Amino acid sequence: MAGALGLLGALARSVLPDVLYEAPRRFPVGRPADFPPASATFVSERRLFVFNTPEGFYAISAVCSHLGCNVNHEAGKGFACPCHGSTFEEDGRVRKGPAAWPLPRFSMSLSRRGELIVDTRRTVGPDFRLKA
Amino acid sequence: MSNRVVRSIFRVGWPRTRQQRLRAMLSSLVLHVHPTRVRVHVLRPSYTLGLGLVSFYLFLILTVTGLALMLYYVPHPAAAYRSMKDIEYAVTFGMFLRNAHRWAAHGMVAVVFLHMCRVFFTGSYKPPRELNWVVGVVLLLLTLALSFTGYLLPWDQLAFWAITVGTAIVAYFPVLGPQVRYLLLGGHEIGQAALLRFYVLHCLILPLAMAFLVALHFWRVRKDGGLSAPPDRLHRRVPAWPHLVFREVLVLIAVLVLVHAAALLFDAPLEEIADATRTPNPAKAPWYFLGLQELVGYGAIFGGVVVPTALVLALLVLPYLDTHPRGVGVWFAPERRVANAVFAVVAVAVVAVTIVGTFFRGPNWAWVWPW
Amino acid sequence: MTPGGLGHGVSRRLLLASAGLSLALLATVVWAVVKEARVEWRVWQGRYAALESAELATGSAEDGSRGLQQFWLPDLDRVDRCTSCHLGIADPGRMDAPQPFRTHPGRWLETHRPDRYGCTSCHGGQGEATSYRGAAHRPVPYWPEPMASRELMEARCGTCHKERRPRGTDWLARGRALMVDRNCTACHEVPGHDAAEVRSPRLDGLPIKVGPAWVRGWLKKPKGYLPKSRMGDFRLAERDVEALAAFVLPPRGKLALDAVELSKADTEKGGEVFRRSRCVTCHEINGRGGTLAPALTHVGAKASREWLYSWIRGPHRFQPKTLMPRFRLTDEEARDLAAYLSYEFGDTPEGFEGSDAPPSPALAGEGRSIFEKRGCYSCHELEGFPTLARIAPKLLAIGDRVLEPAPLVARGTLPTLPNWLFTKVSGPEQVLESARMPTFGFAEDEAAAVTVALLSLRARETPPARTTRDPVRPPYEPQGEFGALVRRYRCLSCHTIGGSGHVTSTGLPLSTVALDRIGSQLTRDHLERFIGQPYGVRVALPERMPHLNIAPEEARVLAGYLSTVMVDDALEGAVPSDAATVARGKELFDRHGCAGCHIVGNSGGYVGPDLNGGGARLKPGWTVAWLLEPERWKRGTLEPDRGLTKPEAEALAAYALSLPARKAKAVGR
Repeated sequence: MAGALGLLGALARSVLPDVLYEAPRRFPVGRPADFPPASATFVSERRLFVFNTPEGFYAISAVCSHLGCNVNHEAGKGFACPCHGSTFEEDGRVRKGPAAWPLPRFSMSLSRRGELIVDTRRTVGPDFRLKA
Repeated sequence: MSNRVVRSIFRVGWPRTRQQRLRAMLSSLVLHVHPTRVRVHVLRPSYTLGLGLVSFYLFLILTVTGLALMLYYVPHPAAAYRSMKDIEYAVTFGMFLRNAHRWAAHGMVAVVFLHMCRVFFTGSYKPPRELNWVVGVVLLLLTLALSFTGYLLPWDQLAFWAITVGTAIVAYFPVLGPQVRYLLLGGHEIGQAALLRFYVLHCLILPLAMAFLVALHFWRVRKDGGLSAPPDRLHRRVPAWPHLVFREVLVLIAVLVLVHAAALLFDAPLEEIADATRTPNPAKAPWYFLGLQELVGYGAIFGGVVVPTALVLALLVLPYLDTHPRGVGVWFAPERRVANAVFAVVAVAVVAVTIVGTFFRGPNWAWVWPW
Repeated sequence: MTPGGLGHGVSRRLLLASAGLSLALLATVVWAVVKEARVEWRVWQGRYAALESAELATGSAEDGSRGLQQFWLPDLDRVDRCTSCHLGIADPGRMDAPQPFRTHPGRWLETHRPDRYGCTSCHGGQGEATSYRGAAHRPVPYWPEPMASRELMEARCGTCHKERRPRGTDWLARGRALMVDRNCTACHEVPGHDAAEVRSPRLDGLPIKVGPAWVRGWLKKPKGYLPKSRMGDFRLAERDVEALAAFVLPPRGKLALDAVELSKADTEKGGEVFRRSRCVTCHEINGRGGTLAPALTHVGAKASREWLYSWIRGPHRFQPKTLMPRFRLTDEEARDLAAYLSYEFGDTPEGFEGSDAPPSPALAGEGRSIFEKRGCYSCHELEGFPTLARIAPKLLAIGDRVLEPAPLVARGTLPTLPNWLFTKVSGPEQVLESARMPTFGFAEDEAAAVTVALLSLRARETPPARTTRDPVRPPYEPQGEFGALVRRYRCLSCHTIGGSGHVTSTGLPLSTVALDRIGSQLTRDHLERFIGQPYGVRVALPERMPHLNIAPEEARVLAGYLSTVMVDDALEGAVPSDAATVARGKELFDRHGCAGCHIVGNSGGYVGPDLNGGGARLKPGWTVAWLLEPERWKRGTLEPDRGLTKPEAEALAAYALSLPARKAKAVGR
């Protein structure tokens, strides 16, 4: 009995993946100089926006928190999702649904080689800025 | 000599006497799912509309065409799209097979839904048929799952974004939603792991489960005393051979004709290759989930989790709630007015939101008039 | 399943239904088979087989087996099935066959074998398809790569051929050259172009050169002063113009003009200096002359005489990277020339009038931020600013860009990527009103060429084994006395050595004479004479070397270096000079009609150089090599390749080198 349960458990655990054939979740997006001042740049391969403001850098996910479509950004007017019409403020908070959660803001850091690193495993609050 | 070979395979010759006809049902693996004699009432097409049988045939057609397609399709993002193009252009009867597969799949989803409606409206879920109804509900979910997993395989924009939306809805389920999504996709994104998992689910795991449950479903029909009939029609019977078998063959031919015609007249779509960086506008789930996507547009938790869960639970517990034996075996029995009305309203609502999601929603999910 | 057997006991109605349905099933099966048999590629192969069987009777057909044909190129990730219908494409005997069986035109398949390159690498379209429509001969939905027209196909050449001037591509080569000429890489990161090629004047010396009126007019519309200006129109608002002028005009201190006594200037003498020096070689006047340097048509209205004088005396102080040589002129000559230029070309262009009032210094801060935001310093160096401002998107994969169709649809233009790029390059504000990119004022064909060059920049990298590039050579930096002279007289503004040298917007250097092996081509004496006193070797050409007034000692140094270092040992050699060979050479000369282009004695054509006195100018080994393979030494030359043998070439060379110099007569040179 125990053996059977054990086997079943092993089978169940085996189907949970341990390595992912995906892009790494912590990756460089370029150098600070690649992002013009006072701008938001869409990094399409990573599906996120990098903002360069006078206070510093921050990165917001471009994946709509509703059902996963890519949102569009208009400078000063925030984000809008083409799939169901959700809109978000410039800082990612929901302005109009059906999205229920804000766009996540990812942690950023500066590598020793001077590259901007984004870590999508960790989200940060709206006051986060990276000085570079 | 050949006579002995033939006799060793077919124990009973071509039935001529009544006794042979009865024994024919018992002597063949395929045929012995039938009783030796069937009620005349259930033979009438206007009673069952043959919907269950049609579903089964569609499943067989899907299996056969699917097996052929498996010889060419490659379940890896770098090769899947091109293998679809190969099937379309470079495989003899390739496009025909693909079309047949796709239209049979869409047909099966519609037909199993209608079959469920038929079973409900004739009260054929009542005891002793409760378990069979539950098995049927599970079969319905399996059908949807099979269609959903198959939808991703062409790896074009239509497939990719439909599954993006579909799996995003899964993640809304409380507690386990994100884990289930992770397990389904084999990761966080739709990539090579997801495609392979969907392929294995679609070609192996789900069909096996379906085959087993279909067998159970048929066996239960026998054990529950055959297809339901009103109390006054329970006893008139005729031999299954030829009356039942003949009609079944006819239905098979009819289904084949329809599927072939559809495959010859309408081509299955194939858009550009999947591109995670570009969302098409609008991004729609497969049609049978568009009702769900429409509801999700009003509120993700409400539309995506609450409503579908409530509906499925309601379906599952139904035969244990309504055990009153009256009104079985006829359509829209007056004793069951309330139940029929409730079901009809829900069914129409499901169809209505699906129609809205399909035809009345355009870019940005804004309301459009389809004409 | 005969009705009799199974159907015994079954109603008539059902039997009829079964018969009908069975027939219907048969019909659909037959339909499916027929549909497959009549699929497009099979039909074409049937027709081709008919064509061949007609020839089989005459015994000229090839292998008869057919079926789907396919080129599979894993490293290019292409599967091309085009030859399933285009069956005669590689068969030279099918020149007159009807399409799709006709032979491929030209000799392209010799250098681009289909089994190595497929078809879609060059033509685009969907190679996997086996129908006309599916192959995207015309644009089809859901296949983003339709087949390319001839001009746009050159963009596809460019995905493998990364050289600046790939052979056989007019549009692509021109487009790439234009992108260098207009400094695209100053704002956009462009693969294959680097920052070193950005060329614009420094602005440090601007305050001592021009006044507020000119600056205002120029910033509003550069082409108002210089119709062929390389600088685009930045579509600046009035206030921005004022602010920029306020920022750029205040003196910056370090540079100063030379003192000069202008009252003594003689404009007539200045005119002589002007004509003698052949300034028009590089500077156009009233639309005539060279375009290497800015037109001088209105230079007097732009710069002061003091500035012109200082510049002529020493241009490199003000613009270290200028192409202009430092002519050897006396101070008086320079003074006269400056006065002449100012007097003769002093009219302000029409519509270019601007206010001469100094701009308000309060706007300087605003001007500075505009200077930064619009990326001015990316092209124009200015102390205190970094050298590059890549404020524009990378052009890495512009050829695969997904465009926003709305601006084009609004203008009634078909929203394809080539159209989008063409519109953007012709007028960026037509695509995005707030665009920062200037309007360069390209002519239609120039914009088309740039579009082709842009379309060659794709996201998918061609494997290195398939790519050709210009050889990477370190820039040639001549040293010592020779180097100083080369830098002073800016030889590399027109000539190239070792691949280094200025390249004009056509993609070619101004002079067709590369100096790499000039010492093996021309005699030392001739070099020295020519450098001191250049003349038109080919009378028909509009360009000739300007008269830099190089001093005799300098000419000696230059000629000496060129003759001893810029040589190719393979070209050394002699030719027999006996009478028989010379006579043979004359006979060949007459037979091949060389006098049609070359002057011998008193008659001949003006296309090629005058051959009188050839022996004093040309070297024998070179002459032979030239006659044998002119195209190898000068791409695109008019000299025909007569397929001469070595002895024939030697004889001709002997003849040419034996010709005496012409007596000094009035020739009208």
